[in-house]
Amino acid sequence: MRSEQEINRALDQYSDTVRRLCMIHLKNKDDTEDIFQNVFLKYVLSSVVFENEEHEKAWFIRVTINACRDLLRSFFRSRTVSLDEVLDRPGPISPDHREVLEAVLSLPGKYRDVVYLHYYEEYTAPQISRILGKNVNTVYTLLARSRQMLREKLGGEEYEQ
Amino acid sequence: MNNRIKEAFDSVHAEESLKEKTRSFLAEKTAGHSKRTVVPFRKLVPAAACLLLFLAGGHWLYFTPTASISIDINPSVELDINRFDRVISAEGLNDDGEKLTESLQLTFTGYSEALTRILESEQISSLLSDNAQLSITVIGSGDAQSARLLSAAETCAAGHENAHCYTGNYQELEAAHQCGLSYGKYRAFLQLQEADPDITPEEIQGMTMRELQDRIDGCSQQVPDSCQTPGHGHHRNGCSP
Repeated sequence: MRSEQEINRALDQYSDTVRRLCMIHLKNKDDTEDIFQNVFLKYVLSSVVFENEEHEKAWFIRVTINACRDLLRSFFRSRTVSLDEVLDRPGPISPDHREVLEAVLSLPGKYRDVVYLHYYEEYTAPQISRILGKNVNTVYTLLARSRQMLREKLGGEEYEQ
Repeated sequence: MNNRIKEAFDSVHAEESLKEKTRSFLAEKTAGHSKRTVVPFRKLVPAAACLLLFLAGGHWLYFTPTASISIDINPSVELDINRFDRVISAEGLNDDGEKLTESLQLTFTGYSEALTRILESEQISSLLSDNAQLSITVIGSGDAQSARLLSAAETCAAGHENAHCYTGNYQELEAAHQCGLSYGKYRAFLQLQEADPDITPEEIQGMTMRELQDRIDGCSQQVPDSCQTPGHGHHRNGCSP
């Protein structure tokens, strides 16, 4: 079990990453809270020894995405909620940012992770393929399609790979 | 622009209330976790006590001698045997005896194997072929184990003309140790003392069993019936099975 010091450091370092991934996948406050807390509980109880910060961050991303997917597959989860409600929760967001986030959140689920990991976390397609356990060519395809969809939604702006 | 996506996600942060709730949640869960680890430890205490008792009992059972074998030629060696017929200690009672026990791996072997190793050792076999006198005494409480040990000693001694097997008891062994003698030499000392009351254990210590036997035989010729064996059973070279 990890020490209180390690827990506080992990919360400071990875809570925003976990929260953003929750926002991408989850539609209500209770689910977000459950997943957020459970991800950090898994970290506390895990005996995994991380080689470096990158390894640790990739662990948090993978565990959060898996936890969200498991919840979404669950029959008893709370169902739909409006996009406005999703974006109202993580604090005040400017209209410009809201437009971009709405565009990302309106993508089908399988594109959202790769968009976040590629455009925000700046992972390459091979790195994303390792984190998500997907074929690297599949990741390239998902990135290309999501780029096209975002271009359509956000007025034909250039989104480079 | 890629920057627009980056900036948009950058504006999303985990709420402080969510972090605080998570801290409380983790504190609660980890406190429960540490409590749970205490319970099995408490449950382990009786099990650990039983294990200790078992180990201590096992140690006592294994390492308590129930019989001894004293072997005298000039090297004098004493083997302590446990209830499982294993040698738990092999002690040389003089310099030659110490050299012999150091050169042979006797501890934890079966008594029969230990006797064979001693009698077949270079030192003993050369002494026996040189007409030396060998005395093997089984010290026990006269139970089945003593009979088994004596039988094994007789089997080992069978091939040697000057080997003799005896039985003895712990009171006599204790008395022998008090005189600083091995059992075989103590027995010879008692025989000689009957003929020559002035003889001391110190004189006996440096003598070989052959020298002692010759002296006993000498005094028997001079004073018939004065050098009888002490009042315990013995088997003079009638040890053949």
